[in-house]
Parts: sequence; C-alpha cells; structure tokens
Amino acid sequence: MDLAQTVALWRELMMSGDATWWQEFFVRFYQAFIEADRWQSYLEGVGITLLTTALALAIGVVLGVLVAMVRTAHDQQRIGRRKNPLLGIVNFIFKIYVTVIRGTPMMVQVLIMGLVIFKSSRNFTMVGALTLGINSGAYVSEIIRGGLMAVDGGQMEAGRSLGLNYLDTMRFIVVPQAIKAILPSLGNEFIILLKDTSLISIIGGQELVYFARNILNRTFDAMFPLIGAAVIYLILVIIFTWLLGKLERRLRQSDRR
Amino acid sequence: MIDVEHLSKSFGDNLVLDDLTEHIAEGEKVVIIGPSGSGKSTFLRCLNLLEIPTSGTITFDGTVITDPRVDIDGVRRKMGMVFQHFNLFPNMTIRKNITLAPVRTKLMSQQEADDAATALLRRVGLEDKADAYPAQLSGGQKQRIAIVRAMAMRPKVMLFDEPTSALDPEMVGEVLEVMKELAEEGMTMVVVTHEMGFAREVGTRVLFMDGGHILEQNEPHEFFAHPREQRTIDFLSKVL
Repeated sequence: MDLAQTVALWRELMMSGDATWWQEFFVRFYQAFIEADRWQSYLEGVGITLLTTALALAIGVVLGVLVAMVRTAHDQQRIGRRKNPLLGIVNFIFKIYVTVIRGTPMMVQVLIMGLVIFKSSRNFTMVGALTLGINSGAYVSEIIRGGLMAVDGGQMEAGRSLGLNYLDTMRFIVVPQAIKAILPSLGNEFIILLKDTSLISIIGGQELVYFARNILNRTFDAMFPLIGAAVIYLILVIIFTWLLGKLERRLRQSDRR
Repeated sequence: MIDVEHLSKSFGDNLVLDDLTEHIAEGEKVVIIGPSGSGKSTFLRCLNLLEIPTSGTITFDGTVITDPRVDIDGVRRKMGMVFQHFNLFPNMTIRKNITLAPVRTKLMSQQEADDAATALLRRVGLEDKADAYPAQLSGGQKQRIAIVRAMAMRPKVMLFDEPTSALDPEMVGEVLEVMKELAEEGMTMVVVTHEMGFAREVGTRVLFMDGGHILEQNEPHEFFAHPREQRTIDFLSKVL
C-alpha cells in the first residue's frame, strides 16, 4: 500500500470519527504539504519573499543613506554661514517623505500603491517590493541619521583638519563608525522588513502567505499551512540573525585590546 | 606666515574673540596660555577655520583663507592640527590613520605613504604599533600617533590644542618630548597649553589671553619673570 492510499484510508476514518490523533495529524500534514506537491508552492513563496525582501532592502538602504546624508549635511551647516538653498529644499522634501511614511500604516501604503498608484500593473511582487523599500527607507534613514550623529564630532574635525573633504571624511571615517553602531537596529529593521513582505499578499503579491492561504482555501484546514508559514519565517529570521551576528563580530575587530 | 587682522568670533550673543590682530612668523613657536573660557582654543581653531570667524581676516602663506571662495581643504593640508582628545580614527589601524589623508589627497602614493608612516613611527619609537588599533594604545602613544598623523601631510605649521590636557601625568613627558624635537627641527608651531615648563623652554613667544583679548605677550623668560598686567600676575600665581 503506498502513501496516497494510506492517506485516503485514514481520511475516511477521519470522516467517520474513528481516526487516532496521529492519523489525523498525518493526514492534515500530508494535505498541507505533500499532496499535489504543495511543498513546491511554499518553496516558490519563500523565493518570492526573499526576492521581495532583497529588493526592498536595496531600495530602503539606498533611500535611507541618501536621506540621512542630506539631512545630516543640512543640519551640520554652520550657523552664521550662508546656507545652501538646494540642500534646504531637498531636506524639506525628505522631511515630508519621512513624516508621511512613518505616519501612515504599512497596510494602507501597500493598498494605495497596489490599488491606486499602480492599479493597472500586474506585477504585484515588484509593486510590493517598491512599497516596502520606500517604507523601509524612511525608518532606515532615521537609524542612519542617529548613527551619524552619535559619532564624536572630533572625528569629523580630525578628518577635515588633515585636508580631507567632507565626502571623504564621511566615507572613510564617520560612516564606517556609524555603521558599526547602528548594525543592531538596522538588523532589527531588516527582520521587520522580511516579515512585512507578508503584507503584499493583500494586493496579490505571490509570496509565502499568499500560497499558504491558497492551500488553506483548497484543503479547508487553516492550522497546518499557517503554522508551516510561521515556522518558515522563523527559520529565515534565525538564519538572518546568525549572519548578522557574524558580521557584527567582524566589525568589532578594531575594539580588541 | 599667519596674519590675523581684526579677528572676532561670537557664538550667538557670546563674544569669544574680540578684534584680535596678531602676526605669526615662520619658525616661531607661539605658546598661548590663559584661563579657561579666555578664547585661546577658539583662536587656534579659527586659524584653520574649524571655527568660522564672525569678522576679520586671516592670511596664511599669502592666501586670505577667510575668503569664502578659497579651497579650505587645500589650506588645511598645510596646517597640521593636534587635538586634546587625540581624535584618532578608531576604525583603522595606526598605519591607515597616518596614510589615509596623504593618499586620498594625492600627496603620496600608498607605497610612499606607507614608507613615510614607517619612518615617522620610528622617530617617535612606535614602529611596532603600525598594525595596532587606537584602542590598544595608551593616551601618550595615541597623542604621539596623532602628531605623526598630522606630520605625514608635511604641513608648514602645526597647531596644538591642549595636547597634554587629557593625558595621565606620567605620559605628558613623552608627548612634550616629541613636540620639542619638532620645534628643534624648525617647525612653526602654535600651541595652546597649560604646560608652563614647555612654554618657557620651547616657546619663542608667549601670548596670554583673557576675555577674548591678547592681554600680554613677551619672550618666555621675560614673560614669566616680569609679567606686567595684574591679570597675568594673578593667573601665573595660580598655575606656577
């Protein structure tokens, strides 16, 4: 008797209420993950989830660095010296961006992007990644700005007094120190981002939760697909945390005495 | 070499430097002393525009550096600065601390800079620290490295902002020794310090500042032996 026949038999037992708990457990597990090669759906979902996270991460970091650099440069302008008007305008725009993104729920942003701004687009994954990236950029920029401000002002002075220009001093001296300081909060933000990709399923983004719900609708069993999805997220985050810990240890190299 | 004319600096309503005019010639070792809040550090920091003067002009090597159009990075390359808190870059090895600026500003190739760093480190007896990180060094070692780092840019003048004030007493000597050697080689130096012994021994001129003014100045031996102003006499009686 092969597996499919066994399960069919046990399913009948379940119907009549005669199945033992582990027979029922196995049948539900089987229909959630194995039947009709459904595990491939989860795998596909994980792929899309990771792709979305990576894209959103890239957009978020680029936006975040840009916003943080402009806002820091703006705030560091000397009192009494004429201000750069262009910097003032860009700073103002970025301030609005951060305020709007942080002031509205992510779910609403996803819906607006998917159903209003890109309503004719069928590429829900890309729209979702873009939304998440824009959202993440606002938070990342504040994290980076905090990190840049936390670096001792003497570092910038020392770099500039050696004749390095502002950008070189930022690039070689201030930013590397800031990155080390903000890595834990940045890692936190990335974990949030990874999990928030689940939100794009509401506009049709085909990531992990999307497939889990598909299977749920087909088998009428919510527990196994959802817990399965939860376990997969958990595993992804654990792997990510581990990688981050390794990176932190490497960056702490200069602290050894 | 440095001409300061009618230099004033205020932070908000607080006038820190009040119409200073001073000339520093090549090869001079000018020591600036005075009570805290007298404006001596601000004066020094104005010389390489770490502080932007509120009014007045500073001319360095024939260039009016207070002119907003001047390339300030270019000017700063010729003026080394040493800070009270060392301000070494903690994310880099000592070698990298020293070679970063000469290489990035295209003054030297990486190879030349590395060689220069080795030679400079040997001079201050720290060649074995080239691959260490700043966190692994003592305060005195850090400050000697900071001096070397500034020297690597081959500056024409060195500015010292209380270089020994953050050091344990036993480490002051090794830093002053390096500065003394520098002075003997003919480097133009402007030093804000509380080390009266150094002022007397190494300085060619002592400026006493108080309340944003240069109250009194003289050749060191005369200055310490016969201070003229009552404020100077009070100050010296407290620190000597």
